[in-house]
Amino acid sequence: MIRFEHVAKSYASGQAALRDLTFSIAPGEMLFVTGHSGAGKSTLLRLIALEERATRGSITLGGTPLDKVRKRGVPALRRRLGMVFQDHRLLLDRTVFDNVALPLVIAGTPRAEIDGRVRAALDRVGLLERVRSQPLALSGGEQQRVGIARAIVAKPALILADEPTGNLDPQLSVEIFNLFGALSQTGTTILIASHDLHLIQRMRRRVLVLDHGALIDDYRPEPGR
Amino acid sequence: MTTRDADGNRGTGQEAEPGPPGRPLAAARQRKAGATPFAVGFSMTAWREQHLYGLFSSLGYLWRRRRSTLLTVCVMALALLLPLLLQVVLRNLEDFGDGLRDAREISVFLQPRLALAEVEAANSTISQAAGVVEVRMRTPADGLDELRALEGFEGAAALLDDNPLPHVLLVAPAAGLDDGGMRALAAQLGKLPGVDFVQFELAWRDRLGRVLAFARRMALIAGVLFALAALLVVGNTIRLDVAARSREISVVQLLGGTDGFVRRPFLYAGVWYGLGAGLLAVIVASVLIGFAREPTLALAADYARQFELRGVSATLAVAALAGGAMLGWLGAWAACTSWLARGRPR
Repeated sequence: MIRFEHVAKSYASGQAALRDLTFSIAPGEMLFVTGHSGAGKSTLLRLIALEERATRGSITLGGTPLDKVRKRGVPALRRRLGMVFQDHRLLLDRTVFDNVALPLVIAGTPRAEIDGRVRAALDRVGLLERVRSQPLALSGGEQQRVGIARAIVAKPALILADEPTGNLDPQLSVEIFNLFGALSQTGTTILIASHDLHLIQRMRRRVLVLDHGALIDDYRPEPGR
Repeated sequence: MTTRDADGNRGTGQEAEPGPPGRPLAAARQRKAGATPFAVGFSMTAWREQHLYGLFSSLGYLWRRRRSTLLTVCVMALALLLPLLLQVVLRNLEDFGDGLRDAREISVFLQPRLALAEVEAANSTISQAAGVVEVRMRTPADGLDELRALEGFEGAAALLDDNPLPHVLLVAPAAGLDDGGMRALAAQLGKLPGVDFVQFELAWRDRLGRVLAFARRMALIAGVLFALAALLVVGNTIRLDVAARSREISVVQLLGGTDGFVRRPFLYAGVWYGLGAGLLAVIVASVLIGFAREPTLALAADYARQFELRGVSATLAVAALAGGAMLGWLGAWAACTSWLARGRPR
């Protein structure tokens, strides 16, 4: 699904955000990328979503070399991703339904189809009864679940989640991670950036550890590790 | 690989995989679906849905902030009003000029003391001449009566033993006759037997023509300047709208919205602003013209034989609406494009 080969990213200031990353992610895999603040977790996700371009190396997504994707091809690629953000990035002047429907509207999905798919996605995250609510009327955990519903509504093969539990308490964080775990059962590839090592250990999934932009570990926690 | 999507539907696990973006992937999917003709219909549906979204979301946005929408429409309407009024005034001046031309006939002075039969013959010949619509005869007695009616000439007329005035034939030329035609007709009439001289006035009409040409040029300049003002009003308003919705735009871009998708609601908003402003300008112009109708007609009656004040015609109203919509669209397009260009690359 995803292949990084000797990928590096540095900025004009000379600061190196990622250094020589090489790894692969199989289709349907759910894994975490972790590290301290500034380790390069978000940069890694931004490279996949083509918010930024790698300075060196190559990234392949579903067989497509991302450096070959031109600027005008970026939206089409992003429409095939599901993205979850730490701050949810919900449109506060729209209802839950409108927020979840947004990726479908962007893709030009017929209205008759949108209703059923939005309801199915909200059902999936347990928020069907809040379909007409405004985002501000929801708790932080509920807002994040709306964000997840928005990420899955267009049936992406890959979901990128950047610190999805960063603003949530531990119990809600577990709920959100369990939700991702359930989604991964359907064959969706899920890559989550998180600094919450304790929670990551509980999920028993593959973990990429970054430090100052370098991949220092790539492991799957064993029971008791 | 067998997968289930977000709805729990089973699939091959390949159809949703990110592949080469753009046409090759779309074409590959169409081939998989075995529905190439259907693919055209699908993209048309997507196009229509996206436009409907842009249209309704722009209306919703303008309605939610209706006070500032109304202000923008009013300012833009003012910018459209002046060129619109200038156009109406110009058209009325042209009508007025035509009225003057009708009123100003060619006066054919026959030789004094011409026998009545010769006068009738001249009248008949001139009536049948090409380019002549009507001939009215003013007898020497009519002329003397007119002289007596003129202030200060009553005494002079009383001193005359005999009426020295000739018969005068007042010739109304055809409406479509241009200046060259008028000159040719006058020359032709001057050569007829029994005709002493011919009098007609082109200088006044020439002067009016030059005034109208000047006014047309001024209207064009004013139109361009005010159109520019309207463009700036919409452009600036949309620029502020875009800035206020920058967070939403960024979310839409991250979810795969193209520049066209981002731009579309703002373009529709620009068109709504322009249509609203055009409609308001037409209404205000009609009210103002109605207000000025009575004194204008009274003034025109002194100079033109027949003059009807024209309001905003249907053509002009449609032009104002279309022009407003076009300016709105253009202003919105410029503001959005500039914003998106600054926001790139993502």
